[in-house]
Amino acid sequence: MANRLDHDYDYLFKIVLIGDSGVGKSNILSRFTRNEFSLDSKSTIGVEFATKTLQVEGKTVKAQIWDTAGQERYRAITSAYYRGAVGAFLVYDITKKQTFENVQRWLRELRDHADSNIVVMLAGNKSDLNHLRVVSTEEAKVMAEKEGLSFLETSALESVNIDKAFHTILKEIFHIVSKKALAAQEAASMSGRRIQGTTINVADSSTNTNKSCCST
Amino acid sequence: MEEKKRTDEFEAGTAPPSRLNNREERRVQKWRKMIGTGGSDWKYYVRRKPNVVKRRIRKGIPDCLRGLVWQLISGSRDLLLMNPGVYEQLVIYETSASELDIIRDISRTFPSHVFFQQRHGPGQRSLYNVLKAYSVYDRDVGYVQGMGFLAGLLLLYMSEEDAFWLLVALLKGAVHAPMEGLYQAGLPLVQQYLFQFEQLVKEHLPKLGRHFDEEMINPSMYASQWFITVFSYSFPFPLALRIWDVFLYEGVKIVFQIGLALLSSCHDNLMKLSFEKLIHALRNFPDEAMNPDSLLPNAFSIKLSKRLIELEKQYNDRNGVSSHKQVKQPRLSRKAS
Ligand SMILES: Nc1nc2c(ncn2[C@@H]2O[C@H](COP(=O)(O)OP(=O)(O)O)[C@@H](O)[C@H]2O)c(=O)[nH]1
Ligand SMILES: [Mg+2]
Repeated sequence: MANRLDHDYDYLFKIVLIGDSGVGKSNILSRFTRNEFSLDSKSTIGVEFATKTLQVEGKTVKAQIWDTAGQERYRAITSAYYRGAVGAFLVYDITKKQTFENVQRWLRELRDHADSNIVVMLAGNKSDLNHLRVVSTEEAKVMAEKEGLSFLETSALESVNIDKAFHTILKEIFHIVSKKALAAQEAASMSGRRIQGTTINVADSSTNTNKSCCST
Repeated sequence: MEEKKRTDEFEAGTAPPSRLNNREERRVQKWRKMIGTGGSDWKYYVRRKPNVVKRRIRKGIPDCLRGLVWQLISGSRDLLLMNPGVYEQLVIYETSASELDIIRDISRTFPSHVFFQQRHGPGQRSLYNVLKAYSVYDRDVGYVQGMGFLAGLLLLYMSEEDAFWLLVALLKGAVHAPMEGLYQAGLPLVQQYLFQFEQLVKEHLPKLGRHFDEEMINPSMYASQWFITVFSYSFPFPLALRIWDVFLYEGVKIVFQIGLALLSSCHDNLMKLSFEKLIHALRNFPDEAMNPDSLLPNAFSIKLSKRLIELEKQYNDRNGVSSHKQVKQPRLSRKAS
């Protein structure tokens, strides 16, 4: 974005909120960014947008979150927003089997339109409606493991696990990004910086350098 | 027409009945004369004095006559008369694959409007019926989110059956070009409108257009709802209604004009904002900017007809669409199967 010059954060991560219509995406977003929940909110037409800045491992991270209309027909517009996203928050409703079954279709959608390294968080929302539950925690865990996703059950209504879910995905993204940054740094230091006698970052990266030497 | 339908959180700006002065009464009288009893003189009047009609509509249709006039100018009244019993057939005897999708969205359509607030109340039931009927009437399109806001707005001014036929008139194109492409697979008309709008912003507001480019703002981020729901999704009702008066008579051009007029009225402020604040501002225009009495005249002064056609052609050439409108004929007198 063009406000590079005056930014007040160390990292900016773009995250997309996806999943069937009615699972609670818009309320998860409003709960996370404004601590608001509404039992009668409007259905999302097109895309919505909100941000929140928080601390992840001592760094200031700004999450830029795109909320999308869930209905299949809208993917014609919404899939453009997957581009550049480093994280996806994939939501289903624990009281609606179909929304869980469609998780596979959403994953396919991500494979087709998003970066292959995108970090995905699976969220089983409406955990407050336990008496109406039709998707067990166990089967969702199994699927998340199989697909390599993080997983939590959430309630936007009761504000359960919403912050935790976002923290989890942001931390995971942060690790990947900082590993990449580190790798770039190493590449730079390997390729002749030392010869020039520069010792920038040597103090804190030397141990890491050794580790990665052995592991690759 | 039930009065309770119109009382709404957004209605604060309209004139209370006590201020309904002589001038207003004379205006209604003129309109009544123009329409004739039950709309009997309308067609004659429009043919003889189309510009008088246009001018009067641009000033706003009197609220007490709005429902009737909307049906006359949209061509939906004719559809209703040509298809007796069809609506009932669609509502009562047919089943739709979209029923659950529709139900899921009913309470999420104008949730803060009294007419639609009551769960399973008359407002919600009518809304369900109209949407279900349409999803059966055109099974290819079915039900798509956004339609509810069109149907909802219409239901504030007319019966279910009338609202249904007005929806048909709009989407199948009784008077103007069909708008079903807003809801067909791939949302082709939304994509076309967004392309046209982006070009128009660059041409009419070049500085702002460049600023948007630099900030990586494109119209799909803020204007999709304008087109998909014709400003009914999130704009104050008094403004939405005035836009609909013109929209039904003159066509979709007014949506582009209003969009440009809005951007233009906030131009200097928008120029100062960066990405995030821009998106916020483009979704929350200040009240002054949304005053119909200044916004509409500004919108009318923007001349677009020719350019819109050129841009449509340009879009279709680019996308290899050869005037699909001729290919797909509106099926206006289709009977329920
Ligand atoms: N009980 C319960 N209802 C929820 C929860 N989250 C959302 N809802 C409700 O589910 C419906 C759909 O929510 P919405 O956020 O619009 O879903 P979206 O279509 O995925 O954006 C609304 O009526 C919400 O009030 C939740 O955690 N618990
Ligand atoms: Mg939503």
